[in-house]
Amino acid sequence: MNSTFVLIVLLFLLVVLLGFVFWPGKGIVPRMLLARKEKSRAHLEDVLKHAYDCQYRSVACTVESIAGILQTSIGNASQLVTRLESMGLLERDGSALHLTSDGTSYALRIIRIHRLWERYLADETSVREADWHRYAERQEHLLSPADANALAARLSNPQVDPHGDPIPTATGEIPIVPGRLLTALEEGEFGRVVHIEDEPPEIYAQLVAEGLYPGLQLQMIQRRPDYVRFEAEGEEVLLATPLARQVSVTLIPEERRKRGPFATLTAVESGRAVVVTAISRACRGQQRRRIMDLGIVPGTRVTPELDSLTGNPRAYLVRGTLVALRKEQTDQIFVEPDAGVA
Amino acid sequence: MSGTPNEACATCPAFNAGHLTRLGIDLSNVDFVVALAGNPNTGKSTVFNALTGLRQHTGNWPGKTVTRAEGGFAYSGKRFKIVDLPGTYSLLSTSADEEVARDFILFGKPDVTVIVVDATRLERNLNLVLQVLEITDKAVLCVNLIDEARRHKMEVDERTLARELGIPVVLAAARQREGIDQLLKSMFEVATGAVVCKPRRVQSIPPAVAKAVDRLTERVAGFFPGLPNARWVAMRLLEGDQRMIDAVESGELNTLLDQAQRPAENQQARVADTV
Amino acid sequence: MSTTDLKNPSSSPTASLLTEANALRWEMGEEYHDSLMEGIYEDAARIADRSVTRSGERRRFNLDRAIDHLVTSKWTGFPFMFLVLAVVFWLTVVGANVPSGLLADLLLDTVHPMLKGAMQSVGSPWWLTGVLIDGAYLAGAWVVSVMLPPMAIFFPMVTLLEDFGYLPRVAFNLDALYRRAGAHGRQALTMTMGFGCNAAGVVATRIIDSPRERLIAIITNNFSLCNGRWPTQILIASIFVGAMVPAHFAGLVAAGGVVVIAVLGVALSLVVSWSLSRSVLRGEASAFSLELPPYRPPRILQTLYTSLIDRTIIVLWRAVVFAVPAGIVIWLVGNVTIDGVTVAEHFVNWSNPFGLLIGLNGVILLAYIIAIPANEIVIPTVLMLTVLTSAINGVGAGAGVMFEADSTVATAEILRGGGWTALTGICLMLFSLLHNPCSTTIFTIYKETGSVKWTALATLLPLGMGFVVCFLVAQGWRLIAGG
Repeated sequence: MNSTFVLIVLLFLLVVLLGFVFWPGKGIVPRMLLARKEKSRAHLEDVLKHAYDCQYRSVACTVESIAGILQTSIGNASQLVTRLESMGLLERDGSALHLTSDGTSYALRIIRIHRLWERYLADETSVREADWHRYAERQEHLLSPADANALAARLSNPQVDPHGDPIPTATGEIPIVPGRLLTALEEGEFGRVVHIEDEPPEIYAQLVAEGLYPGLQLQMIQRRPDYVRFEAEGEEVLLATPLARQVSVTLIPEERRKRGPFATLTAVESGRAVVVTAISRACRGQQRRRIMDLGIVPGTRVTPELDSLTGNPRAYLVRGTLVALRKEQTDQIFVEPDAGVA
Repeated sequence: MSGTPNEACATCPAFNAGHLTRLGIDLSNVDFVVALAGNPNTGKSTVFNALTGLRQHTGNWPGKTVTRAEGGFAYSGKRFKIVDLPGTYSLLSTSADEEVARDFILFGKPDVTVIVVDATRLERNLNLVLQVLEITDKAVLCVNLIDEARRHKMEVDERTLARELGIPVVLAAARQREGIDQLLKSMFEVATGAVVCKPRRVQSIPPAVAKAVDRLTERVAGFFPGLPNARWVAMRLLEGDQRMIDAVESGELNTLLDQAQRPAENQQARVADTV
Repeated sequence: MSTTDLKNPSSSPTASLLTEANALRWEMGEEYHDSLMEGIYEDAARIADRSVTRSGERRRFNLDRAIDHLVTSKWTGFPFMFLVLAVVFWLTVVGANVPSGLLADLLLDTVHPMLKGAMQSVGSPWWLTGVLIDGAYLAGAWVVSVMLPPMAIFFPMVTLLEDFGYLPRVAFNLDALYRRAGAHGRQALTMTMGFGCNAAGVVATRIIDSPRERLIAIITNNFSLCNGRWPTQILIASIFVGAMVPAHFAGLVAAGGVVVIAVLGVALSLVVSWSLSRSVLRGEASAFSLELPPYRPPRILQTLYTSLIDRTIIVLWRAVVFAVPAGIVIWLVGNVTIDGVTVAEHFVNWSNPFGLLIGLNGVILLAYIIAIPANEIVIPTVLMLTVLTSAINGVGAGAGVMFEADSTVATAEILRGGGWTALTGICLMLFSLLHNPCSTTIFTIYKETGSVKWTALATLLPLGMGFVVCFLVAQGWRLIAGG
């Protein structure tokens, strides 16, 4: 009798297990099949993106370059190309490959999702900057155009991604952002960073580590064939020319130039009133808006009032209210001594 | 306590008839809709509770009021519905709270918007007030916690404030029910059109941006002639606000236009169907 | 394939307006929002300047700032915080005893026999009476009598602290810890709520606006020892931990044991937050902006009323809804027999070896499985099952009927009779801290995250940690004690 009970239990467990493996849509096997299909779709989309990128940079897109970018064999790459050709998205012209107009709008759709997602990560999450690109590479194959539109609406239809690249519109238009390479900025000229190329990731990480971000104001000090030297936020930065070529800037006219350099709010000693001169552009999205909503804008008088145990966070008196901020934020708020008090 | 209306007001329609009946959650046959806006932590809920007799509790931080609360009261023979909007610092950001608040003030077409501010932190609170005044012409400012301000030796001059802002200003200490009668009277007058506000619109926008705002405002006014808050629509379009883009595309903005052009007397009939 | 699914903007007459808006946006870029805010604040400052006058010296003695220095400074901040929390917990635990006893008298000792008698007098079959009265009613009544009084004390006190303005200062004090763990300072507040009820704590995470930090706060909230678990901790600590030292130290040591478990919970929440922000929820500590509101005398009566309605009743109602079916299951496993042996005994015998391996036993495992709906009924279930499976005569209220012994001594006798040792007690205390959240909390997590994945992680992570920790403690203990 007891063994019957065990048998029933075992049979029941077996049914549950089988259901777990084969259940349509949700089981392990159907999911694996789906994942394989999605993987091949992701590859096809990556090829289109690469072709668009080549077109944008005016370099040739070939089966070899595709194999290189996807890190796959030439045979695999040419198979992908053949499939895209049969779908009417890619055309062959000798060894060079071109996007058809359908192919271009498909590629732009993927790019739109990628850049929107990066923008979302930058504005609303605390995902590390170095991870943005990687997460967006995954997400761009998963989101539907409708999802993308909903995301855009939620983010108030942003126009550029956090690297300064324009986000294609839902209708597939992509504006050209003005700007020239950092290496083209004359000595003594002021420029604002408008774009930092995010590929290859290693070089991008290096530029981020140097403190570069879109919106940064800089002044060229010295321009040599193999390096450039410039001043930004009170510090001198030296960049090798290959790195500097990844950065685009626009000229800043005299009247829109931010004065500087200034100390950060972090450095202000407790009890001393200061006036905010600027909030760094590296403080983005929700964080930036929240700080300004609390009354911290250029011209605001701020006094450090309360130190916590470790000195981070600190509480500041802003327009009659006490506001606690972390050091990471006050590092991005520039101040000058309050003339009214001194 | 400023419980009784003063002589200057003897001619007001609210005089004599003006007494409050709290209706709690009874929201049938309302004549007017009131929106209640304000920063977190200004005693907005206390004002709401004082008017409706309900007991809403909200905490000290934003994001706490997830759903908006509604309550009712009757004053001077008119029935009011009051909608407690989420407490926000601003209406210009992307958070869900702020979206609810700004969309209700614009598209919900309240007959009067009461903005509750903390007297001790007036400057910071005025940020929200100025934003609300970009949206609506019919507003009353309730400077709450005036007792605390007195304790801190601060004095708020409501006449100057009313002149600067162009709307009725009431000093209140809602916890002690101080100023609630005056607030009711002002609400009544603005809702019925007895008092017409001339709200201040933000003046100090930096020139480069102001030029763009003005240009777009003109274009908006061209498409929707007579729209009372064309500048707000322009400002939102410049922020890329999808709700506003949709409202422009679908022509929903025209419904705001009708309201503005209709004479005040006819409004009572319409109000019942809002929201 | 192309853009056919997208609206063509030129079809609408207002398209030119939107195009122009777009062009202007490109021109101004991110300057726009900043400039607008700057302009608004300039106006605000000017207006405030004209209409506000300050009489007298402004910076004489500022009471708010004096309190702030007391509650946030290096030397007094943390002691003050611990003092406040200790008082809150002490009042909750001690203050709840009397009403809990009264409620138990009423619901368990008076109404329960009455209902049972009434059912029998109308000729209801024994199993129906069992399922409805001994199962469903008893579980519901138990949850009410154990949960209602502490919650009705704890939540109003927390609300009063909140209204007074102290809780934001707690977040300010603790932010440094949470920042290092990659989490948000406001998590300190949600953890505090979690001490009352984890479900309420999970809902409270809405005050954290960054999605990553909010998820961390949700997943780790269970490490706050909730009200439903305090009675278990206190009972087991007084039986097993207190018994290890001379009698006149017993009370103090037992209380110390409970505090150690609670502090361990907070420490683990930080450790888990830290590991989450380095693994599945990778990211850096983001912004933390918190307004520290001025201190305001709280309104005691209104707070009592609203926190009772807003928090206590809602949480209690949900707990009862989940506890009633559990009560039915408890009765059934104690009464349905296979081969003449109850389902409960089958399971207990089968799972006992595994239970012993991690310092627990089969009874505890079964109790935790059926008590998923509410941690409050763990101890009564454990007692019922112990009596059932170890054939102790003369105690208990019958098969499948939860009961509580008259005194701690009587409970201790039953447990020791069931083969419990100090190790079992300690492991139970650890397991009570480290196991899946109750079903109310799991459901709340699902509602708040909308994701099966995160709900599963929040459920299984503490459970897995509980198994591992109990296993290590048990093995270590046996190694040292040679038992």
